[in-house]
Amino acid sequence: MTDLFRHRDLIWHLVQRDLRVRYRRSTLGLLWTMLQPLLMMLILHVVFSHAFRMELYGYPVYALAGILFWNFFSQSIVASMNSLRGNASILSKLPVPKAVFPVATVVSGVVNLGLALVPLFGILMFTGHPMTLALLFLPVSILLAALFTLGAGLLLSPLAVFFSDVVELVTVVLTLMMYLTPIFYPMTILPEQYRWVVRFNPVRSILEVFRDPIYYGKIPPAQHLAVCAALALVVLAIGAFSFRRSSDRIPFYI
Amino acid sequence: MTTNRPVIELDGVTLCYRLAKQRIPSFKEYALHWVRGALTYEQLWALKGVTLAVGRGEALGIIGRNGAGKSTLLKVVSRVLAPTGGRVAVHGRVAPILELGTGFDFELTGRENIFLNGLLLGHPKREIEERYDAIVDFSGLGDFIRSPVRNYSSGMLARLAFSVLTAWTPEVLVLDEFLAVGDVHFLRKCEDRLEQFKASGTTVLLVSHSPESILENTRRCIWLDEGRVRLDGPTADVLAAYTASAEEAVASS
Repeated sequence: MTDLFRHRDLIWHLVQRDLRVRYRRSTLGLLWTMLQPLLMMLILHVVFSHAFRMELYGYPVYALAGILFWNFFSQSIVASMNSLRGNASILSKLPVPKAVFPVATVVSGVVNLGLALVPLFGILMFTGHPMTLALLFLPVSILLAALFTLGAGLLLSPLAVFFSDVVELVTVVLTLMMYLTPIFYPMTILPEQYRWVVRFNPVRSILEVFRDPIYYGKIPPAQHLAVCAALALVVLAIGAFSFRRSSDRIPFYI
Repeated sequence: MTTNRPVIELDGVTLCYRLAKQRIPSFKEYALHWVRGALTYEQLWALKGVTLAVGRGEALGIIGRNGAGKSTLLKVVSRVLAPTGGRVAVHGRVAPILELGTGFDFELTGRENIFLNGLLLGHPKREIEERYDAIVDFSGLGDFIRSPVRNYSSGMLARLAFSVLTAWTPEVLVLDEFLAVGDVHFLRKCEDRLEQFKASGTTVLLVSHSPESILENTRRCIWLDEGRVRLDGPTADVLAAYTASAEEAVASS
């Protein structure tokens, strides 16, 4: 922990480098990261509201909030799994705390999520969706999501070093989880007897903390918040513990 | 300038690599092997019990054949690799150059690399800014500092790496086959700086295949042979024994 804090400038440097690479790749740059979720939202809106005739008030906002959260979560996990291998030469030749790479990955994911809130606010205004002061709660929601994601990233990233096919495996699991998380559908469309699966999905709980202030304009109930905070901290503790245990073995496998 | 308490203490240190061809590349295969109960590894012991104490301000040369465990030993001291067995205690910060070019991004300019490298060595940005001019000055790279490192020769890269590394005074300086690159002018500068460091209490570990370089910079030397310390003593004696053994090996083959 103290080691990570000592390397905070390095972490920030890695974040900046990551963002530069991400935004340099296409000519539209920054605009594209904002457009991508919007286009996705548009597709979902057409498919669900028009083709499937699902009726949900303010569906574009509902879906967009879900997409932004999911993009952050899934991209951060996959990127943190690749971050150790991507920095193999450094890890095997310099005494850098190995956790700086997954940590920097999640931090840059947070910055991206922050940027993606701009088009979200645009849609809120454009669709005339009611906005409340609860939006000011979003930083807390994002912090919870980040701790949870970092925990998962720390848990999975050493595995990606030890076994080369874990990234593919996790990608499949993530796709499954995406469908088990009410990102672009409301819980209510599920048959009663299957809802418990989604209800016990921890990602769903964290998503709601993020989406409640945006879509419902309310701060999540205290009890739900407490559960999510505990969840995020437990996942982070497990991730940090297992990362610490396996980090000595990482240089031998990359 | 050695005080009672060693800066580097190794006690029965062993280190084992699993050979690359034996590694289980995928989770699927791991699961299959595990089910069959056939998880065997071929092991390569790079260090087979190294016990060593190096004092403050002492310079230690390390010699030995390729594969004797020299670089592995340096990695263990630098805390890059954790030992498989035994105990390692290093008191203070270690600044290593284990391989020329690590911690550099070849697409970035020399200037940007000073920052990247400094950060990777664990220094805050503010301290790098403070020392930036001194680093460029010592490197003697002049205007080249503004061009991408991919255009650098290995000597220029060595200048940059050494200048960044030694802009701070570490407790332990680790150089793996480093003084072989670079021109005579820079070599002199490096050696002067090494002398200053030793005088101020920095412990230096030096791996080299050049007897002159070892003799010039260290008074004590160890000879590593197949992962063990074969000889530990005054540099001239150890070098003589090593050279004699090498010549013998050549003569008998």
